[in-house]
Amino acid sequence: MVGRPYDCLANPLGAVRFSFEKAVSSGSDPASFDRNDWGVADLFREFLFDNDGLNQVPMLTPSTVKWVQPNSLVRFRGMIQDMLGNEFYVGAYKSNDTWNTNKFTDVSQYPMGTSSHTRIWERRLLYCVPVPGLNSWADATSDGVVNTYATSASREKRQRDNCSVSDEVEMQDSNNAIPDSPSAKKMRDVESLPQENMTDCGMIMVPDFDRNNFPCLVKIYDTPESDLKLNDVLEFIGVLTFDTDVKNGEHELENCFDQEELVNLPPSKVPRLHCLVHRKLSPIDMILRSPTIEPKPHLMKEIRESLLRHLTVVLGDDDLAANFILLHLLSKVHIRVDSIAVGKLSLNLTCFDKSSISVFGNRINDAVKNLLPFSQCIPLTVEFLNTASLAPVKDYQTNRLVPGALQCAEGSHFTIDETQLQSGTLNSNGIENTRLLKDLMEFQKLEYDFKYYKMQMDTDVQILILSEGKSNILPADIVIPFHPSSVGPTTVVDEQTLNAWRWYLATARSLPHTIGEDMQKVVEDDMVAARQADRSLGTEDFNRWLTMGRLMGVSFGETCLSHEHWQMVKEMERLRKERLK
Amino acid sequence: MDVNFSQDKDLATDFLQNFVDGNGEAKYMNILQDVANRKIKAIQIDIEDLFDYKDLDEEFVGRVTENTRRYVDIFADAIDELIPEPTEALQDDDHDILMTQRAEEGNENADGTDPRQRMPPEIKRFYEVYIRASAKGQPFTIREVRASNIGQLVKISGIVTRCSDVKPLMKVAVYTCEECGFEIYQEVTARVFMPLFECPSKRCNVNRAKGNLILQLRASKFLKFQEAKLQELSEHVPKGHIPRTMTVHFRGELTRKVSPGDVVELSGIFLPIPYTGFRAMRAGLVADTYLEAMSISHFKKKYEEYELKGDEEEQIARLSEDGDIYNKLARSLAPEIFGHEDIKKALLLLLVGAPHRKLKDGMKIRGDLHICLMGDPGVAKSQLLKHIINVAPRGVYTTGKGSSGVGLTAAVQKDPVTNEMVLEGGALVLADMGICAIDEFDKMDESDRTAIHEVMEQQTVSIAKAGITTSLNARTAVLAAANPAWGRYDLRRTPAENINLPPALLSRFDLLWLILDKADMDNDLEMARHVVYVHQKRESPALGFAPLEASVLRAYISAARKLSPSVPRELEEYIATAYSSIRQEEAKSSSPHSYTTVRTLLSILRISAALARLRFSETVAQSDVDEALRLMQMSKFSLYSDERQRSGLDAISDIYSILRDEAARANKMDVSYAQALNRISRMGYTEAQLKECLEEYAALNVWQIHPNTFDIRFIDA
Repeated sequence: MVGRPYDCLANPLGAVRFSFEKAVSSGSDPASFDRNDWGVADLFREFLFDNDGLNQVPMLTPSTVKWVQPNSLVRFRGMIQDMLGNEFYVGAYKSNDTWNTNKFTDVSQYPMGTSSHTRIWERRLLYCVPVPGLNSWADATSDGVVNTYATSASREKRQRDNCSVSDEVEMQDSNNAIPDSPSAKKMRDVESLPQENMTDCGMIMVPDFDRNNFPCLVKIYDTPESDLKLNDVLEFIGVLTFDTDVKNGEHELENCFDQEELVNLPPSKVPRLHCLVHRKLSPIDMILRSPTIEPKPHLMKEIRESLLRHLTVVLGDDDLAANFILLHLLSKVHIRVDSIAVGKLSLNLTCFDKSSISVFGNRINDAVKNLLPFSQCIPLTVEFLNTASLAPVKDYQTNRLVPGALQCAEGSHFTIDETQLQSGTLNSNGIENTRLLKDLMEFQKLEYDFKYYKMQMDTDVQILILSEGKSNILPADIVIPFHPSSVGPTTVVDEQTLNAWRWYLATARSLPHTIGEDMQKVVEDDMVAARQADRSLGTEDFNRWLTMGRLMGVSFGETCLSHEHWQMVKEMERLRKERLK
Repeated sequence: MDVNFSQDKDLATDFLQNFVDGNGEAKYMNILQDVANRKIKAIQIDIEDLFDYKDLDEEFVGRVTENTRRYVDIFADAIDELIPEPTEALQDDDHDILMTQRAEEGNENADGTDPRQRMPPEIKRFYEVYIRASAKGQPFTIREVRASNIGQLVKISGIVTRCSDVKPLMKVAVYTCEECGFEIYQEVTARVFMPLFECPSKRCNVNRAKGNLILQLRASKFLKFQEAKLQELSEHVPKGHIPRTMTVHFRGELTRKVSPGDVVELSGIFLPIPYTGFRAMRAGLVADTYLEAMSISHFKKKYEEYELKGDEEEQIARLSEDGDIYNKLARSLAPEIFGHEDIKKALLLLLVGAPHRKLKDGMKIRGDLHICLMGDPGVAKSQLLKHIINVAPRGVYTTGKGSSGVGLTAAVQKDPVTNEMVLEGGALVLADMGICAIDEFDKMDESDRTAIHEVMEQQTVSIAKAGITTSLNARTAVLAAANPAWGRYDLRRTPAENINLPPALLSRFDLLWLILDKADMDNDLEMARHVVYVHQKRESPALGFAPLEASVLRAYISAARKLSPSVPRELEEYIATAYSSIRQEEAKSSSPHSYTTVRTLLSILRISAALARLRFSETVAQSDVDEALRLMQMSKFSLYSDERQRSGLDAISDIYSILRDEAARANKMDVSYAQALNRISRMGYTEAQLKECLEEYAALNVWQIHPNTFDIRFIDA
């Protein structure tokens, strides 16, 4: 790093101190820095994004955490699973007539002595975990990003670095080569529980850090509270601290309740990251080699065609089901009005039996896995309902939010396999779980249990149900009998096409969409006519039609509902009705 | 920042001595006298009183709130000097005996230059000083308490999630020296302290005796100490966030005041935990903080104890002036549900209720209104129920199928630890003094439903099981929702067949509404428009009026519930005739579809009383009775409207015949407009229909209408 008096990568704290001293010497009062930035964020932003420093920052993973130096710059991708409140610390203190800062560290650089000039500042603690259901293709931690890490670390370290990287690349290859190869499929078959959904079984070789359970305690400074919400997926870039001995002697302070987060999240298991810069990750950011395509209608249309062809093959030439699945994959809650979550489109494929579920169930799973960044599969059994904890529960003993299977990032996809459900008795937990699932389907809300009260959190998940008959436990927006006509082999899709599809789904989902004045009249008239003919139609049906109209429009890259697309929706609904008869 | 603490102590002394409260009493000196007489232990100083004290400068109050811990000590010092002699003879307890002993010894060993040997004032105090934050002003939520609040007096609200046991906390450690026999005092300010081992007294020092110190537990001063965790209330948590928690320390008299689940408002001092020993040296930068409680007040959720906040009183006064308040409040219930105005009015009355009456002979007459909503699936019954529960300060929502009779009323269970039989209240008991909404009422088992009979009339739950026979109060208003017998209302069958609930149960409902989904083009278009609007504009269409907020609604209702209106003598006759005419009408018709009993009469009285409450009136007016009759009529018509149409009378001609009868009964030729409106509204017609009728028949020269008063005069044919 020429021209810089500090090394942002290896010594970020030096940079922090440097800028602090600069700010103080230019006449700023250190007391005014509470919840204020004196220019650190800009400094690192410039380094990371303008000078392309981001790629040099090592990703914090179970394997890298073993060699990354404490107090160096790292990045971590994850979901905010819990918020541990705020923490007060001595932010600035005066010793020998100069102000020093402790921002972005756990321990003071110099002994503080008994300086009376101290300023107490605060920071917020976020407990972050890898995104639940993260699919391997979107998992940046298994990517070879680390191998660009080249600083003046010691030679020995470099060697370890290289070797671990080569290991990883190898793993990566075996995993990502052919998504539908039998071996890969076998691997996925093994994962039955959603928690185990993350692939890379072979990666678990670090004893201390579980591959699937690699949390990180992120300490947030300055950012307004409303910026970071529960279940947001973010990339944090900050200072890694890994200081163990400061926590020793903890028990000398005999609290009636133990120092919860320190005892329950020992620093040897949970690394601390003092966040300098963070950014929200959208589904497009999850695509590692994202094709840079303009969302032009003709291009969108082309990709749509090829994706629909693929889905049709996956679904054994059931064209109608493929069309519905496409709309389903594009659905997203885009607004909430009163209690209605507008834009959700859950889908229930019925008419599965023992033999067809084994073939098509896996095919559908694999297809979804390859297309969406976060997806999970839940086999619904009486035992699962009775024992699983679907909703997060607050544990007051440990002061932690215990995650439930349904706590997930926005835009996650759930495939619920109801064909394995046998008759049996539900206990109270089972009843509670079915109610949770039902509420999730109906209102896109999940109740978090805080024991003394419950809090409803908004969710945005896509739910696909595979069942023999219409599922009554999980009332989906669309029920369609699945009629495959052939079991042709699925074609092997190359990575580039997959990326294009991923990009297409992520882009189309976020397109804006409106209904023009003239179409509004047509739609209203159609609805009134339909309701006059069939009294059983209600607002839910109208909502569904409009949602489908919207999704049909965006699937073609259009931002306005056209006559043609509305007709297509009506035709799809007509065909579906016919099948239901 | 140099504050003269001794000067402030003088100010505190002056305040304590000379403060006079609203009643002209010297508040704090009275308290001190009580303390001296050992009647109370806690001295609570209200910040508000400091504000009100005329001779005090504002800055002093500011200093007290900014640095409360210090000022608690200053006030305690001031009190030490002010404390009067007890005016009543006191039994000397251990503490006093010890104190007299010490006083004597103090005279003997007069080398008191050693600070450790001077008795700290703390050990002599037998009272506790608290500074309480002003009751005015909103309390903080936990996340609003910032680093800048450290050391300050803050007021926060939250729910208690954990409580530790009450433990003794050493305040002053007392040692005696083996060598010189001196008592050595050590004040403890932190949670941990380093005990002394060597006698620091002068005599030992000089003699180089290094006297062994022995801790005297009996002589040391302990305080009761309890630690609790406070969590943010759900309504204070911003969307997409997790509730925050805070540690609270209770000392002395404030211990054992809270238990998990309590919603409380605390005032206290927000403090960092001072580090000691190793951690202080390492300068681990993290500071744990806690709130040292100064006062506790529990939140009550019952209507009767609902405290009006700041401007709410004013707002309610303004609303009650508004003539249209009845309609306005009714419309503000579930504003997103279109129409159903009469039903919403009925639900509003259910929230308000009538006063409970207890007769001289001990009989109780319930004041709670029970309402049953029946209707086709998908007419927003459940939404109405849930909304009502949200508005009510105490409401329980349950479904008929999901709760057994035991789940609704009460269960006797064996405690797993003690093996004792314990009573657990069900939904209806939990909703005591509130509202219990039961969805899917028709799906309930017959055996479970019988349990409700008692609750609905006697308002108690009786248990006779396994050695426990008792009655629990269940003074709750029941709001039930049911589907018709065959899922959808079958117009070809009679209402009785459709309703599918036993008459004994039905008669207990004051009002019964049928909500039908009619095949109506306009309604359909309205619905389609709404849905399209939502998708197009990404928001709900404007309502055409500004609904009152739930909090205002709640405040208004709780204010209204404080009244208990009475029925004036002159109205008794009126109600009696109205009742008997309903009975007669029923007797006349061949197939009575309602069961008019004394219960109906009570219902009329209840609804009228609720209406009077809404007007903030202490007496029931005739208009209240008329509206009550109208609502009952409307509820009946919702069930039997089709029959009326079959009888061949349209609204206009029906109104005509009503008016004709009215005139005939009074044997007069004219009917006043007010009278006419009364009659027809009781029969379930609107004013607009009356006007239409008046015009139509005036054109036929049946009657004349007074141009200004609209009074009617029949033209004799």
